[in-house]
Amino acid sequence: MNVPALSFDQVTVGDGTPSVLSFDVPGHRAVCLLGDATSGVGTLGRYALALDRPPTGRVLVLGENLAELPRRAALAFRRRVGYLPAGDGLLQNLTLYDNVALPLRFGSDRSEIAIDGRIQVMLTMLRLQHVARLRPARVNEEERRRAALARALAFDPELVILEQPFDGLTTRTAAQILELARGGESAEGARRTVFIVGQSLPDVLRARVELRYRLVRGRLELET
Amino acid sequence: MFAPIAVVGTHVARQVARVGALARFSFSAFQAWGTLPAAGRRVARRVLLNQLWFTALQAIPLVIVLSSILSFLVISQAVRELGRIGSVELIGTLIVVAIVRELGPLLTALVVAGRSGTAIAAELATNKVMGEVDALEGMGIDPVHYLVLPRFAAAIVSVFSLTILFDGVAILAGLVAAFANGMSAGHYFDIVLRSLAFRDAGVTLVKGIVFGTIIGTVPSFHGLAVRRAATEVPIASSHAVVGSILAIFLTSALFVVVS
Repeated sequence: MNVPALSFDQVTVGDGTPSVLSFDVPGHRAVCLLGDATSGVGTLGRYALALDRPPTGRVLVLGENLAELPRRAALAFRRRVGYLPAGDGLLQNLTLYDNVALPLRFGSDRSEIAIDGRIQVMLTMLRLQHVARLRPARVNEEERRRAALARALAFDPELVILEQPFDGLTTRTAAQILELARGGESAEGARRTVFIVGQSLPDVLRARVELRYRLVRGRLELET
Repeated sequence: MFAPIAVVGTHVARQVARVGALARFSFSAFQAWGTLPAAGRRVARRVLLNQLWFTALQAIPLVIVLSSILSFLVISQAVRELGRIGSVELIGTLIVVAIVRELGPLLTALVVAGRSGTAIAAELATNKVMGEVDALEGMGIDPVHYLVLPRFAAAIVSVFSLTILFDGVAILAGLVAAFANGMSAGHYFDIVLRSLAFRDAGVTLVKGIVFGTIIGTVPSFHGLAVRRAATEVPIASSHAVVGSILAIFLTSALFVVVS
């Protein structure tokens, strides 16, 4: 039996009128959950990675409940998941190159040469070579988002969680970001599972996101 | 009738809780030494060197200026005044007890707390507000390993080294002051070295380490305690510097009581 990449079980989101959500994100699919700013859908990525605890319910990531793992194990497990937080979360005192290198330098035993090789691939894929040596404050929003995605994909994770990834981007850039997050195609669908939370999804991307949920007045509706 | 007591009680309970949280944070920072992954050591070392540049090396001119002016003024006055009553030998005790043992570590710690404590708190608070701390967690990097440990180590090394520098410069500036007031260099060093006990040097160095530990933990604690509002950054800096200075003075008083 296939284990869902993400499984939300009776998870409460939202402050004003809380909603209780139960749904799965199947592997090798791009799934989005949209909701307005007060719906609380933006917190689901944080709940999945156990950065915050939901008031009720539990989240399984690749079959594991990170909230129950010891801290060291939870930190190690997170390297299997790519996380693009809302905004970008880039470290402002590091160049884009060093931002992308950071998880590899800190969380792997690869040599600096091997890390450099991996980063060059990522930077080329995300068209960031020309700004790689600049700090986040000196590049535009699109480049920052690309760099944050490169960092999220550094370990070539099997699951990618994207928080409001397309806000403020052109549809063309948004499409590129989605394609890079999917990581190409496999026999089962996308090579990676992609879970997107946000307020809206550009129309041109609808065909590339297999499951589109929307949280409306506390109820989860599947868009067709 | 009980309302004022309740207000005071609530305030005291909040402060005690904060001290408890600070103690837990300090303990977790100490513990983190043992859990820093091998790969992370390389990165942490790079951050440490960067922090040493800002915290120790850039503070050297200020420490030299403060130390030499303080020592010159104190020893000039002392040689003049004590000379009148024929007790010039007491400048040895004065320079060792007052400057080397007490003021040296204290002023050095205050300089580092003012320069770097505020910077550490503001930087970590900004990291938190900008979502960088959560991003680190999301990448599987413990923020204590990446952000706190290098600053913690740099503060200890910096205060320790700058205290030695402060005391060395103070002794040399005292020599200039004594010489300017008619005392020979040989006589000056004879008095100072006779007054300087191994225990004084030890207490000074231990103070350097303890004050460094305070500056390494208190600002980091306040910096990471902010939530998501940019307006909390200056508040965190203010709390960090006030908390550090208070802890440094209390600890200094404790040293006097204990030693």
